[in-house]
Amino acid sequence: MRRARLTAVLNARFVSRQYAQGVLERICVHNYKCLVDFELRLQETVLLLGSNGVGKTAVLDVMFGLRELLAGNVKVTDPIAFHPSTLTRWQPQNEQTIEIQAVVGGDRFHYRLAIEHTEGGKRSRIACEHLHGGDTPLFRCELGEVQLFRDNGSTGPTYQTDWTESALARVVPQESNQRLTSFMEAIRGMVVCTIRPALMRAESTREEVLLDRYASNFVDWYRHALQENPASTVAHVESLRPVMDGFNNVHLRQSGLDSRALMFDFEADGGSGRPGHSTLYKLRLDELSDGHRALVVLYALLHLKHDRGGVLLLDEPDNYLALAEIQPWLVALMDACGETLSQAVVCSHHPELIDYMGADCGVVLRRGPSADTSAEPLAASVSDYGLSLSEIVARGWE
Amino acid sequence: MMSRNVRIVVLCEDRQHESFVRRFMREVGWNTRSLRIARPRAGRGSAEQFVHERFPVELQAVRSKRGEQAYLIVMVDGDSRGVKGRRESLGEACNRQQTEPPRDADHVLVCVPTWNIESWFAYLGGETVDEARPDYPRLSHERDCDPFARVLAEMCQHRALRSPSPASLQDACDGYQHLFV
Repeated sequence: MRRARLTAVLNARFVSRQYAQGVLERICVHNYKCLVDFELRLQETVLLLGSNGVGKTAVLDVMFGLRELLAGNVKVTDPIAFHPSTLTRWQPQNEQTIEIQAVVGGDRFHYRLAIEHTEGGKRSRIACEHLHGGDTPLFRCELGEVQLFRDNGSTGPTYQTDWTESALARVVPQESNQRLTSFMEAIRGMVVCTIRPALMRAESTREEVLLDRYASNFVDWYRHALQENPASTVAHVESLRPVMDGFNNVHLRQSGLDSRALMFDFEADGGSGRPGHSTLYKLRLDELSDGHRALVVLYALLHLKHDRGGVLLLDEPDNYLALAEIQPWLVALMDACGETLSQAVVCSHHPELIDYMGADCGVVLRRGPSADTSAEPLAASVSDYGLSLSEIVARGWE
Repeated sequence: MMSRNVRIVVLCEDRQHESFVRRFMREVGWNTRSLRIARPRAGRGSAEQFVHERFPVELQAVRSKRGEQAYLIVMVDGDSRGVKGRRESLGEACNRQQTEPPRDADHVLVCVPTWNIESWFAYLGGETVDEARPDYPRLSHERDCDPFARVLAEMCQHRALRSPSPASLQDACDGYQHLFV
């Protein structure tokens, strides 16, 4: 695990910024939870809607598993990746496939991963893993037999590899495989997150390049961002000042031999209202309210993306937030797209998100008679009924 | 997969209206998930205005509904204006918003309890009601209308209100039979 993280860090530093801007165009998933022959087409901003249990979070789970697999952090059967228990229960096939189409630095990539689960889930392996840039093959692995290609499509070395993990994750960045490397950088840079404030640790013992699924390692990730791009934390602090009453600043404070605690400086006037009579106090991250912790992460995701831009996939960002705070953050999210973010995919049921994003970028997931999930653009528009979009969705009239 | 599909929009003045309509519809076999309630947040003073302003919007929405037919149930107290006066004012509200007033083909039920919903409760509780009398007692809790909703549902099933019945309730029942039965 540690070696894998180191690889990811080295890879991230090897790649220059020109590779960073990645956008997912299409995600195809077969035989994963409720996603069967599932295809999702994506724009720069996407709001995923749909009933409970329709598969919105499953889409994010796939992308998180894929990111972890391609970051070299996990084997294919890891519970957070493609464990046999993720096979669609009502499907007889043993093979899962994940395909993504992404544009990175102007290059259109097509990645395909097929995983075989046999013997009732006791044996699982990557049956094939392919990467093409346009029509040019860049990487191929069939049952552990790797064929590398150079950027121009000419064949490179072949070798055997472990079929329980991504062979692509182990390819060392070189001058001859910059296209492959830029794709990997974009996928590894994805943030896939459901913010769970109660799980967030206030202390960090190391830097982390990747934010985990529930933002529990936020302080590790923040520490890395601070190291990589200290200037971006200024924007983060500025964004939080109008959001958190009395908030002044945030900093890491030594709390042990190797550990740092994320501290927040506040100022209260003690009710006197007189200038110069305010009280300064500090709170650790885990002493903030759930809502404040969520806001800290949400604005960090917009401002602390290491200046590289990347794909952000967020599940129900409205959770824990005061109603008045939702739209300001959405506005900031939209502004961040194309700046600090290259793409934002958000799942939500909240009327504020539906009304703000739904008409332009709403995609509805539905489960058909066979229980399989499909995706289609939110066809309804406000003018159809004279009702707000959230009201149309609330009625099931979309 | 069960997903919600609202079939009936209930546009009403207050929680007492809502409670009664919802319970009545449940008694006659509708699932609560099929209902969407639109009522004002403010007090009774602005309630009538809310219904009138909202009516053209909801009427147009129901007309535009694709797929399974949707229905609109409107409940507004008659007060001194009565059934006829309220229907006229709802039609005028449509004209003001450039919406065609309700026509026979629309799936709209306008209920105008007169003087107010408490008049109906008094009738359903066994009294003989004078619709010009504004002071029938209010219920302690909105939920207390439950037995009245059941009585009315039973009467509707037999298509027979007890005589003498309030004209506003008879009008609403005729509309209900025309639309739903």
